[in-house]
Amino acid sequence: MEEEVKNNTGQNLGIAALITAIITFVLAVIPCVGLMAIIPGIIAIVLASVGLSHAARTDSPRGVLVAALIIGIVASLISFSQVFVAGKIAEKADKWPGKIEKIISDVQDKVLEDLEDANVSIKIENGDEKIEINTTTNKKDLVEKLEKLEGEDTSVVDTLDRE
Amino acid sequence: MLVMIYSVVFSPDEDDYPVTCIHEKLTGQPCVSCGLSHSFSLILRGRVEEAYQWNVYGMRVFLFFALQLLMRIAFSLFYFRFTDTRKQLIIMDIIGSILLFLLAFRQFFAYLIHYS
Repeated sequence: MEEEVKNNTGQNLGIAALITAIITFVLAVIPCVGLMAIIPGIIAIVLASVGLSHAARTDSPRGVLVAALIIGIVASLISFSQVFVAGKIAEKADKWPGKIEKIISDVQDKVLEDLEDANVSIKIENGDEKIEINTTTNKKDLVEKLEKLEGEDTSVVDTLDRE
Repeated sequence: MLVMIYSVVFSPDEDDYPVTCIHEKLTGQPCVSCGLSHSFSLILRGRVEEAYQWNVYGMRVFLFFALQLLMRIAFSLFYFRFTDTRKQLIIMDIIGSILLFLLAFRQFFAYLIHYS
């Protein structure tokens, strides 16, 4: 009779530890409450350990207790890993403003690079009147055009007379 | 069962949830499970569209808990009725629950693996 009561105690401890360990596991993988799961995790490990020592003394089955202990330890480790996860997110959050600035700067550079050799055409229509302006942003072409214009009319004095 | 009670007791309109996101408090950034409590409460109140807005994975996780509740009842009935197949029932229960858990929580696992 006394032995049966002892066996039941071990079994009850095993079931309690297993349920606590499963709850810990479910909580541990939810990022919002993951860190809090360390508390039931420790409870599950303690229950399973007590149950195991009890089972060793009474020579009763330990399957459920071992399962509870393993699940409890794994869940606690997942829960504890949330500290590192939070650390990583905080670290990344610090870097985000810098990253955004870099992306904007890269986009600006890319746009300027694309515009460097672009041909720009502007058309303005107002009833029958049409104006079309064609130009290029190519620096080389613009320099050539300027040289050509300067070469065509050299008589123009572009300096001021000093008296 | 506890999840259902929690979702019924706390109201999304009053915003009186006792659980606040530790990640958001530590990092200032919302995590993948933020809005899950709101989502559960809204699902129970039939406001599914709003629930999706609070958390995209809310429905999946809620269904996991609801199915688990039904499975506990069903497996308990089978366990006491069919005494010869108890071992097979337990194995089926374990495999089914693990698969459902992985399906429902896979995004959370991915989040944890990504940041750890």
